[in-house]
Amino acid sequence: MSDSVPQGEPHDGEVSRAGRQPEVPAPVGSSQAPQQSLADGEWHRLHPATPLFRGGIFLIAVIGFIVVQWRDLLIELFIGGEIGVPRDPLVTWILGNIFLASVIVVAVLLGIIGITWLAWRVHTFRITHELIEEREGILRRVHRRGRLDRVQGVNVSRPFIPRLFGAARLDVSLAGNEGNIRLAYLTSATADALRADILRAAAAARREQAAAAAAAAGVDPASGVGPAGPAAVADDGADPAEAPLPEAAIADPTAAAAASSGSVAGIIASRVDEFLAPELDQELAEPDSIVQMHPGRLIASTALTLVPAAILITALVVTISIASREQIALLVLLPAMIAIGGVSVRTILRSLRYSIAATKDGIRVGFGFLSTTNETLPPGRVHAIQAIQPLLWRPFGWWSVRINRASSTTRDGAAGQAATTILPVGTLDDVRRVMELILPDVDLEPEFTVSPSRARIFRPLSRRRNGFALTEHAVVMRRGAIWRTVTIVPYARVQSVSLSDGPLYRASRLRRVHVHTVSGPVGTRIGALDVRDGTRLQAEVEERVLQAIAADA
Amino acid sequence: MTETDPLAETHAWRRVSPKFVWVDLLTSVIPGIVATLVLLGVWFFVERIWFLWIPALAVLVVTIVVGALTPRRVRAIGYMLREDDLVFRRGIMWRRIVSVPYGRMQLVDVTRGPIARAFGLAELKFVTAAAATGVTIPGLPEAEAEQLRDQLVALAESRRAGL
Repeated sequence: MSDSVPQGEPHDGEVSRAGRQPEVPAPVGSSQAPQQSLADGEWHRLHPATPLFRGGIFLIAVIGFIVVQWRDLLIELFIGGEIGVPRDPLVTWILGNIFLASVIVVAVLLGIIGITWLAWRVHTFRITHELIEEREGILRRVHRRGRLDRVQGVNVSRPFIPRLFGAARLDVSLAGNEGNIRLAYLTSATADALRADILRAAAAARREQAAAAAAAAGVDPASGVGPAGPAAVADDGADPAEAPLPEAAIADPTAAAAASSGSVAGIIASRVDEFLAPELDQELAEPDSIVQMHPGRLIASTALTLVPAAILITALVVTISIASREQIALLVLLPAMIAIGGVSVRTILRSLRYSIAATKDGIRVGFGFLSTTNETLPPGRVHAIQAIQPLLWRPFGWWSVRINRASSTTRDGAAGQAATTILPVGTLDDVRRVMELILPDVDLEPEFTVSPSRARIFRPLSRRRNGFALTEHAVVMRRGAIWRTVTIVPYARVQSVSLSDGPLYRASRLRRVHVHTVSGPVGTRIGALDVRDGTRLQAEVEERVLQAIAADA
Repeated sequence: MTETDPLAETHAWRRVSPKFVWVDLLTSVIPGIVATLVLLGVWFFVERIWFLWIPALAVLVVTIVVGALTPRRVRAIGYMLREDDLVFRRGIMWRRIVSVPYGRMQLVDVTRGPIARAFGLAELKFVTAAAATGVTIPGLPEAEAEQLRDQLVALAESRRAGL
């Protein structure tokens, strides 16, 4: 769709000026003062410049198109002189009926502005102490709601353009396929505060649920955010004090409001501060990430993954061009290399400011360089975790870590594509730290039960590695000789377990066990196990899953 | 099944209705026969070359083998309601035994296909948060399917656990 200035001013000039508008803080539409918590159970609107961020690119494209199409005409009109280009009939008509044409243009612009303004007005959200709700749509009303105790993670992302103007997007991922609730766009500070509020409220909701029987239930929601005004206000009142210096993020709206009446320099300064501020804000996280990302390692690891692909493609194309004596085939190389280069640059840029840290609301993972995302995983939302090591990484001892999680993060566009990669590359020490952060009680050096020697045909290289271990809280599976992986599935998150075989496995008295978890990149299957080991694995895992469920309930 | 089954010591496997043999036969054999006829038709009407017999014959043989094994395959389908979990097994060549805790149930689905309905049978699907679970018990008499569904819902309710 198109877009407009949120304030329904009919003048064309307004559109181009609107780029600077978002600075004038929220209150235009929402009478709410921005520094007040938005998680107060009331309906709120989004950032007034939202339509512009969403459709801004489109608008620029349209203007660009018009300019390119009518370049000569525009030059002629504004600079004068006769160029004598043949005019197309539309232009002739417009020049002939200039009044009617401008009426039409203004009417169309007004219509677009009106509609987008209306869309912005009806797009509201609220957060109560147990629900997060979003309403939108003029003709087709959409009402999304999610229960806070089902929140799987909260993600603040700042695509480049909105980020320049201090806006951010907040994604709340919910369990199952009900999808995410996306609040785009909010002011940066609001988004950060809201994330904290949602996580706090979610934790409170979960605690409340857990302690439903207990008498203490009444205490928690109050300490969390809840609908209770005083608690929320007190919470936010403390924020500016807690957030010192460049973390203008929190204090920003007030600063910006003051500055907008005063100096433009103030706005720019605060924006620059925000832009350069570290991704983990002090209010939520301990300042340090537990893993430091070294640019050299990041570049080298990306190169090691993609260079073999590049070499393979080159070799293939060269072979074809030699075989067919058509040098033109070499031209294919160029786009392929550009694509590979693009992927590498994106991967590297994305992970350059990677950070991971424990916060009181869960694990906070930050990604991104120009567009940043910041995601918080509430505790216990990781269903399976896997460390993988491609062959070429082995000399350097690097690993990467991925997880399975219960939310449909596939929808995440900007930089959210790999919300399941929790450590892009790291040493064994880093992996250990990340794993301990996510699954604190798991023994990472257990005794593995490996495949019997008759499984050699099925696992010629990895027979001695291919195995499993049952630790106190999780089942650990180790696989692969060339592409090494170690997978950990906590019993508390296992959905079901299957034991299977086929004719070949039966003849060799082998079994395959699949520990089912929510879908994701982590495979949780282990094959070529001795019959007795396989049967025992299934029975034991099931047993412990049942214990975990009993303990949970 | 012929091997000692440690699961069967404490609980009995429940079998699906023998009538399901017919449902399975109809759904697997009819397409086979249709395919055979089509291939024969190609040979008869289009090109009478001898080797065009071969695909038709192959399809026919596969259909007959599948059909002949159907009773055994249906007998191999079984489920077991233990205290805290449901165990489901199926397959004779490729065997699969799945155990699902009741507490992991997201929903239970009872569906009746047109052929199954003609035999008064229904299919019960036990859905968890993991797509791989794949517990679909076919060939249950309709009354039994409904009763089993209610029983599973009640069991899941009493053993509810978070995701």
